[in-house]
Amino acid sequence: MNRHLNFLFAAIGNIIRNKLRSLILILCLIAVLFPFICAMAISEGIKFQSMISVEEGADIYVTSDHYGSNAPISLQYLQRFQKMEGVVKVFPRVVGRSYFANQLATLVGIPAESIPKSIRLMQGEMFREKGEVMVGKGLAKAVHLQVGVHFTLSANSSKIFKVSGIFDSDTTIWSSNLILMTFEDASEFFQIRGMATDILIYTRPGYAPLLAKEIQENMGASNPDSSGPPLRVQDKSLVKRYFQRGFNYKAGVFTALFTVAFALAIPALLVVSGFGQTERRKEIGVLKATGWQTQEVMEMVTLENLVISLTSAPLAILTAMVWLKLFNGAFIAQFFIAEIGLMAPFPVPSRFLPLPCLFAFLFAMVLTMVGSLYSTWRTATIPPAEAMR
Amino acid sequence: MEPIIRTEKVDKFYYLGRPEEVRALNQVALEIFKNRIVLLRGPSGSGKTTLLNLISTIDRPTKGRIFLFGEDISKYSDVGLSRIRQKRIGLIFQSFNLLPRLSAWENVAFPLLPLGIAEKERRRRSVEILIQLKLEKRVDHAPEQMSGGEQQRVAIARALINDPEIIMADEPTSNIDAESVKNLLEIFSDLKRKGKTIIVSSHDPIFLDFSETIFFLKDGNLMKIEEREKP
Repeated sequence: MNRHLNFLFAAIGNIIRNKLRSLILILCLIAVLFPFICAMAISEGIKFQSMISVEEGADIYVTSDHYGSNAPISLQYLQRFQKMEGVVKVFPRVVGRSYFANQLATLVGIPAESIPKSIRLMQGEMFREKGEVMVGKGLAKAVHLQVGVHFTLSANSSKIFKVSGIFDSDTTIWSSNLILMTFEDASEFFQIRGMATDILIYTRPGYAPLLAKEIQENMGASNPDSSGPPLRVQDKSLVKRYFQRGFNYKAGVFTALFTVAFALAIPALLVVSGFGQTERRKEIGVLKATGWQTQEVMEMVTLENLVISLTSAPLAILTAMVWLKLFNGAFIAQFFIAEIGLMAPFPVPSRFLPLPCLFAFLFAMVLTMVGSLYSTWRTATIPPAEAMR
Repeated sequence: MEPIIRTEKVDKFYYLGRPEEVRALNQVALEIFKNRIVLLRGPSGSGKTTLLNLISTIDRPTKGRIFLFGEDISKYSDVGLSRIRQKRIGLIFQSFNLLPRLSAWENVAFPLLPLGIAEKERRRRSVEILIQLKLEKRVDHAPEQMSGGEQQRVAIARALINDPEIIMADEPTSNIDAESVKNLLEIFSDLKRKGKTIIVSSHDPIFLDFSETIFFLKDGNLMKIEEREKP
């Protein structure tokens, strides 16, 4: 045990004594690792928020299917769905987008009593009157909206809205550019009176798959207008799967890019870790000449790498946290969130889970090991006289 | 009496089979006995350093056999050779080969690291030897803060830290002043009195009168062996 402790202290001593080399190596590792950690944290953050939205959302979403795409659905379905066994609540929703100055805002028209619990009123009050809206904190800040202010939107400038309140939400990614209003205002704004972009159905536990199947299978029969389009039914599990698939794709794209960066980092680190290689070679030769065995030299170098990795990984995690806090995940968040540009206008969601942090440490180990172990082994196995030459 | 070192038709070629092939040693056969001061003498390029490297196990011969303490080390693995160097051979290199970022005592002590000896004890042993070699004021100094003679004494201390039976020195007077040379000879005499075998590779005539056995080398060939009375 003492022997291994001696090697560990010698390794730490070497790292401290070779300050410049160690510093460059640690900085290189941080540069390689922190985008990965950032990306994983953002991915997990978005997943987490998405799942909150999905969990808070309806059990079944019904829209019209128009040539394979979602299309508005007639409000005549509301009563039919309400009558189905197992249905707890049904309400229509209008979701659309419009530019507000240069900001793309998402307009959602829903009954005030159906607003998700994660929405928290920060200023003002809930919309009550016609024309009143609640604006997401991010959007309000971006376009300088305050409670009581009147405004119009580019998609239908004849419609005038009044800000009744400003809200915040646990799901910043979805709510930051959101404008909540009554269903009637939204359908008027998008000129789809008598229609909704989707109908949300809440069911008793266990009923959702059966009801979704029933609506889907009997859509022809349930369609009051036989010439109308068929219905598209999505239950909660399907929505979850869509989200998951979307994230897997985005994470896959990022991982592919990161792998390229990782592959480039290995030769770069080989060069960096070879910094002072002549001196290192001679040092290994002297160690061997004075009785060290190859495995003892390797152990010390491995411990050096371990210490470097143990130093680099937490620093990379810390850098990722700072990057997310100060720069809102700039350059990285755009891989996961569409249409945000370099800097997201809202706090990019992030979550630091143990597994990606462990991966960061393992990546650091692999990089340092690849960079130094082979060259050390090669030097340690040649005759010491040659290594010292 | 059995020699502690014996070589049998040892060849050492560099760049073997290539146009620039160098025959550094050619069919060298010698015997070295315990508690002798041995000199490997010859002009530059005669092969004395190569021979010293081979018998100190830090290099391997191209052909031939080397026996250390009666054992054929040509068959030894890397681990076996390292063990011999660790316990039975102390090496003093021409350019000292001190690790520049370590202090004097750390340079002396690092061969003890694989033995699992704690830092306090390593320091105690190192300082003890450094004091014997009159380096008590240089214990915590880096090599660059010391003179050539002092650096050499640190290298000697490192060679002695594991109390080896054989001490081998390559051109030990080439990088030190006259006063340090005098000190070195005193140290070697003292080591001989303690029963050690000293093998020196040098072309410095100062070792001629000092040595008991002299091997004369030229162009990689062992030309002559001279045995002298004990100085």
